[in-house]
Formats: sequence, structure tokens, C-alpha cells
Amino acid sequence: MSILEGGILQVFGGINTSDLVTVVWIGFFALTFLYQTRIQSYMALSEISRGLNKLKVMKDKARKDAIDYLVDVGKAPGDPSQRVDQFLDYVAIMPVDMDPAGIVGKVDHIVTTNNDRVRAEVGALLKQNNPVTVSISENLLEVATSLNQIHKIVRHYYLLGKKTNSYFTLVQLQMLMPMIIQEADALLNAVDSFKLGQPVGDGIGPIVVSRFMAGKEKRVIAKDTVMAITEYKGRKLYVLKADGPMAYVGQPGVAIQKIVGEMGVKPSAIVMIDAALKLEGEKTGEIAEGVGAAIGGIGVEKFQIEEAATRAKVPLYAILVKQSILEAITVMRKEIAEAADKVTQVLNRVIEEKTKEGDDVVVAGIGNTLGVAQ
Amino acid sequence: MMSSVPGPDKKSKLLVYTIEECPVCGQKTKRAFAVGDYVTKEAAKCSKCGNPTRIGLVYAETMKQSG
Ligand SMILES: [Zn+2]
Repeated sequence: MSILEGGILQVFGGINTSDLVTVVWIGFFALTFLYQTRIQSYMALSEISRGLNKLKVMKDKARKDAIDYLVDVGKAPGDPSQRVDQFLDYVAIMPVDMDPAGIVGKVDHIVTTNNDRVRAEVGALLKQNNPVTVSISENLLEVATSLNQIHKIVRHYYLLGKKTNSYFTLVQLQMLMPMIIQEADALLNAVDSFKLGQPVGDGIGPIVVSRFMAGKEKRVIAKDTVMAITEYKGRKLYVLKADGPMAYVGQPGVAIQKIVGEMGVKPSAIVMIDAALKLEGEKTGEIAEGVGAAIGGIGVEKFQIEEAATRAKVPLYAILVKQSILEAITVMRKEIAEAADKVTQVLNRVIEEKTKEGDDVVVAGIGNTLGVAQ
Repeated sequence: MMSSVPGPDKKSKLLVYTIEECPVCGQKTKRAFAVGDYVTKEAAKCSKCGNPTRIGLVYAETMKQSG
């Protein structure tokens, strides 16, 4: 028996191995109990940091793609990088909502000012005025701006949580991270479709409506928005969509207000066709029918349409094509494109059921009309 | 408390096609998308009746992974 062994035996004279294991276990539990949040904070920090790095790579890629497009396709003279960086940090300050009466008009004013500014700046940057190239540049810069914003906000909460050692800030951010990355990923994927001018999933409404407009005389009825008058089974159809194949969404709200107001049309129905976000588990390209104004965005157009319809007491019908956020902003998937025929059938049925011969009907194809002319 | 973060480049490969439709005989031709294509654009003459066709749809299909 060595000296060492004898020493250990002396120290743990009356303790057997199972007691020792128990002591170690109790120590382990005490430590985990006391430092649980700290350990989880540490894990959250490292995971958020990894996500943040991904977001940084994504926003840098979107910025670079936008600059490359401006130079290669837009033939921007000189290096537009500095101008693009200023663009990415440009803010639109939303109006105060303490006194909400009339706020939609104010929001509309600010959004319109911003859109006009974007187009003017992009136009000046490009030194060419091909509307498709200008509209694609606008969209690419908007995507880059969104990714830049997402990265900034996530970074803010990451640093704030780290600085204040706030467990709850970090854990909340950690739980949101997969969704944030998914959305950022969708935005980044949109860049590829936009650069090539391919129709996106959101363009399903415009595609259906363009079939009604083919060969008819088109007139501009609102900014970036065109309308044609056609006929279906004795009904007079006022068909509208954004002006394609540019990457426009147009102003369907203003257009419908104009048709119902200025033009004095008394429609018996307004039918809107739009893409709608599907829930997880729902099939892409599934069609849903409903009532109400089928249009997304900040809410100005929706308000205008609802107001015009309510004032004129015209029922609003909606035909929706289900898709994910990724599918809505990237090149149109086959399942969505193939829904076009079914949507046309549904539209025909709605018109036949809800109106009678001699009636006027407004049909609006809502969505980004990139790669879809009329 | 483990959640996974999907990578930015984990997308499936998509092939984009342009469908040309003949307004007279209804013949549909599927070809690869070319930059400048857009829905309703006039396209090649119909292979069946010789009338000018129009682009009816542009869509993407997921490429089947083979080998
Ligand atoms: Zn033919």
C-alpha cells in the first residue's frame, strides 16, 4: 500500500463511494440552480451572435447585388456605393397618432413622398430611364434597406442584452431568431428573381387580370396603375392592375376611388384577387374566397378601397391564392402559376353569381406586377 | 432551449420556364426562361399553325435531385 493510498483512506476514512457521488450530485444541482440563467444567457448570446453574423452576410450581399445591378444593368456612371449607403439609412417618419382622425391621409402623404423620392433618386443615379430597370433598382434598394434595418435592430437588442446582462431580452431574441433569419432569407432570395425580371408569387392577381385586359385599350388611372374596360356575359368589367412588366404595385385604392367617384360608375361588385400568406400546413396555390378588401401593405390602399366601397354600398369580394412569404417575393412557383386558370374560373363564377346582366363590375389584380404586362 | 437557425444558402434549386401559348390553336410550348421575357409578350411563331404566340406564364419548378 502506497503512501498516497493510505492518505486518501485517512481523509475519507468514514465515507464510502456512494456518499461521495451524492455529494457531487448535490453540488452539481446547487451550481445549476444558482447559475442557470447565466448559463442560458451565455448559450443565447452565442446563438444570437451566430445569427447576427448570418444577417450581416445577408445584408452585405443584398447591398452588393443592388450596387452591381445599378452599375451593370443600370449603367450608373461612377461608383454609386456612397449614395446607396445613404439610401439604406434613409428614414420615413410616420405621423403622430395621438389624434388619429385623418391619419390615413397623412400616412399616404408621407409614403407617396417617400416613393417619389426613391424613384427620383434612382432615376438620377442611373442616367437612363428604362422603367423596368428603374423599378427593379427601386425594389433591390428596398430589399437592401429592409435587411439593413433587420440587422441593425437585432444587433441593438443583442448588444443591449449583453450590456445589461438581461436574461429575458436575450432569451426572447434567441427564440425569435429562427423566424427573423427565415424572413431575411426570403428577402435575400427575392433579389435573384427581381434582378432577372421574373414574375413573383405575389404577381398571381396581375396575371389573372392581364388575361382580361389583353387586346383592350389601356388607360392610366392612377400612378403606375392601368385600367381597361371589357365585357363578360353582358356585364361591363372595369379591370385594373399595376402597370407591367415593371416591378410596380400601383395605387389600386386611388384607382377604385376614381372609378366609383370621378367616373361615376355604380358597380354591383368589386372583386379583388391577391396573394395571401398561407399558414404552415396549408398547400401552396390553394384558393380561398371571402369578402373584404384583399390587399396588404401599410393599410392606406385598404382604407381607400373600404371607404369607397362603403360609401357607394358596393360589396367587396376577395379571391386569394395561398403562398408563403418566400414564395410571394421570389420567382412564381408552378403551383401558384397553375392556380391562374382556377382563379379565372372562380372569378367568372363570382361575377355570374353576384351580379346580373347589364351590371358594372370592378376587378382588381393586386400585387407586384414584375414580369407581367397587360 | 435549443433552436436551429437555417443557413442563408440552403435553398433548393429552381428551374424557371416560360410557357408560350398560341391564341389561335391553343398550342403550348415550354422553354427555358430568358431575361426580358414577361407575361403577354409576343413570342415565337406557333409550331403548329404559324400564328404569333404570346407568353402565358413564367414559373419555376424545383429541380429533381438525381445523383
Ligand atoms: Zn397555333
